[in-house]
Amino acid sequence: MIESLAKPVKALRAWIRGRRAGSRRRRIPTQLIQLGVIFAVVGVGMFLMRQKFVPDTFGDLGHYRAAAVAANAELEPRYAGWQECAMCHPDKVEAKNSSFHRTVSCESCHGPANDHASNPMQLKPELPAGREPCLACHSYLASRPTGFPQIIEERHNPVRACTGCHDAHDPTPPESIQECSACHNTIARSKAVSPHAPLDCEVCHEAPPEHKVQPRAHVPKKPFEREFCGTCHDRRARPPEEIRGVDLSVYEIPRIDLVTHGGTFVCWQCHYQHSPEAR
Amino acid sequence: MDPEHLAQLEAALGQVTGFIYPNEVELHWSILIVIYPYLTGLVAGAFILASLEKVFKVKALQPTYRLALLTALAFLIVAPMPLQAHLGHPERAFEIFLTPNSASAMAMFGFVYAWYLMVVLLMEIWFDYRADLVRWRQNDKGVMKLVRWLISLGSRDVSPAAVAFDKKAVQFITIVGIPSAFLLHGYVGFIFGSVKANPWWSSVLMPIVFLFSAIVSGISMVLLIYYVTTLLRRKELDMSCLDALASFLFYALIIDLSLEALDFIHRLYESEESIEILEQLIFGKLFLSLTIVQILLGTIVPIVFLAAARFSELPNEMKRMIYFVAAVLVQVGIFSTRWNVVIGGQLFSKSLRGLTAYKLEFGGQEGLLVAIGLLILPFLILALLLKILPPWEDAKTDSSELSEAMTEAEPSEASSLS
Repeated sequence: MIESLAKPVKALRAWIRGRRAGSRRRRIPTQLIQLGVIFAVVGVGMFLMRQKFVPDTFGDLGHYRAAAVAANAELEPRYAGWQECAMCHPDKVEAKNSSFHRTVSCESCHGPANDHASNPMQLKPELPAGREPCLACHSYLASRPTGFPQIIEERHNPVRACTGCHDAHDPTPPESIQECSACHNTIARSKAVSPHAPLDCEVCHEAPPEHKVQPRAHVPKKPFEREFCGTCHDRRARPPEEIRGVDLSVYEIPRIDLVTHGGTFVCWQCHYQHSPEAR
Repeated sequence: MDPEHLAQLEAALGQVTGFIYPNEVELHWSILIVIYPYLTGLVAGAFILASLEKVFKVKALQPTYRLALLTALAFLIVAPMPLQAHLGHPERAFEIFLTPNSASAMAMFGFVYAWYLMVVLLMEIWFDYRADLVRWRQNDKGVMKLVRWLISLGSRDVSPAAVAFDKKAVQFITIVGIPSAFLLHGYVGFIFGSVKANPWWSSVLMPIVFLFSAIVSGISMVLLIYYVTTLLRRKELDMSCLDALASFLFYALIIDLSLEALDFIHRLYESEESIEILEQLIFGKLFLSLTIVQILLGTIVPIVFLAAARFSELPNEMKRMIYFVAAVLVQVGIFSTRWNVVIGGQLFSKSLRGLTAYKLEFGGQEGLLVAIGLLILPFLILALLLKILPPWEDAKTDSSELSEAMTEAEPSEASSLS
């Protein structure tokens, strides 16, 4: 076997030698061969790593693993969707869909309910209890839209569950808006969570009774000098309980020296009185 | 939310003026992103300086040719580190090579970086040093012999034909390297210039401005390193080389300043709706770092110093000192340029109605300590490279003479020589 191979190998060697001797082609510089080996190793390494690490379906649909779509589609659905709820609870869904909560899905509060939809008697969905579920949306956060109903938990009927006063399926405020908030609702809602919440609007804005009939013809007054804010916030001002006839004892009123504080600016150039960040 | 983070947010809120969106209070790109263009600029600048000697035959710069290449390599090795420290998970960085995303400018940077490192810089250094490495190896012992054998890839051929081929290869790579260096740092400018929602960044001039500031920073860094290493080696500074470096630095500074001024005037004349907030930025939050440090101390003062020293009859000792001070000022100026671009661009709100502030952390992943470490690291790498690949003229000639002597001598004599 080996002997039979020896002959052609010899012939091949002789042929190569002959070609080398006869060829006038330039030899490839050894440097290039050495570098070529390095680049080949890197290239082959990259190729093998691609084979190993890049998922098969990567790039079929975009810059991601296409099979991920099918894998996600195969997952067991956990949410049923509000249409499914409406089949058995039409009254609740109808009430919700015509209230301020019309854009909130049933399962946002009651949790994923696909299991309940397929086995209504045995598997019951969550019944939200306490204040936490409501506070997820209604606790005060500066970045929520202006006028969005928000509360500061410690100040708004502490401990009581929200559903004691509010119907979650029809969360119309228990008291209808009136007086100033009837028109200035956005400001009223901001003020309600601000340190100025205990003050009536008229403490600062003296409004003639005609304002309610012809609002633009009879405009309420606005404070126009620093001394007005100073009646409460100057360090020489009277103690809180004597101010404006309002019980402010629970609040620590920020005090400043009206003569030196803020130069020639008026207060509302830096502090927005209705905002919870008024200070 | 983490209480420590809340406390930081509260401190930052105290610095906010005007109207600002909630997610703009804290800056997302920290000092590490300032360091990244600073380091990349030094790489591109040092390489362009090296190419002046090879392609444009500026013979006066011969002493700094290899030094510039090694400087570029040392800084290039560190350049992606701030990005990896900023993003976290450096072990995933290789994935951008496995699944190239041509729609992402940042992902494509990986390829620009790899091209520049592997094809341009390493190959040029390898071809340039190969013959010397083979010669040095003969006298080496122990670890150094092994290291140099590895770096030379076991190369042995020092025949005139092989050395001639090396020279040609270096020439060719340098010519390819110049557009690559332009691409590398132009690309960093492109990443900022293409953020169209940010009026401080969005400018087609950005890549060009970055490029010229890179050239300025690279030349001044090589000047500084050449100055310091020569003094440390107790050798004589080559005055004609320093003069040439100073001249190129001077011209590059003039072009850099002109481009910056052009950009500024262009913005001023266009007077888009952002001009008011940019004015507040320039004369408020950035007054010190932009007007005083970048423009005055980092550009105008060095121009005056260099012009005064280069084109006057001062004694050489005086000239050198002035060049040194000018180069240090340029480095400070270029760092504040990067600061003003990266940090400045995040200090104003997209509402164009408010400003925030950047609070630099001391420790932590993106703090001052990491930043200082990343700024020192290239010098440590450079020190190591200078040990393994000495760029000095004397190292080159001495050892080549020695090796010639060795090749002529008998083997027994050669061993006694070493």
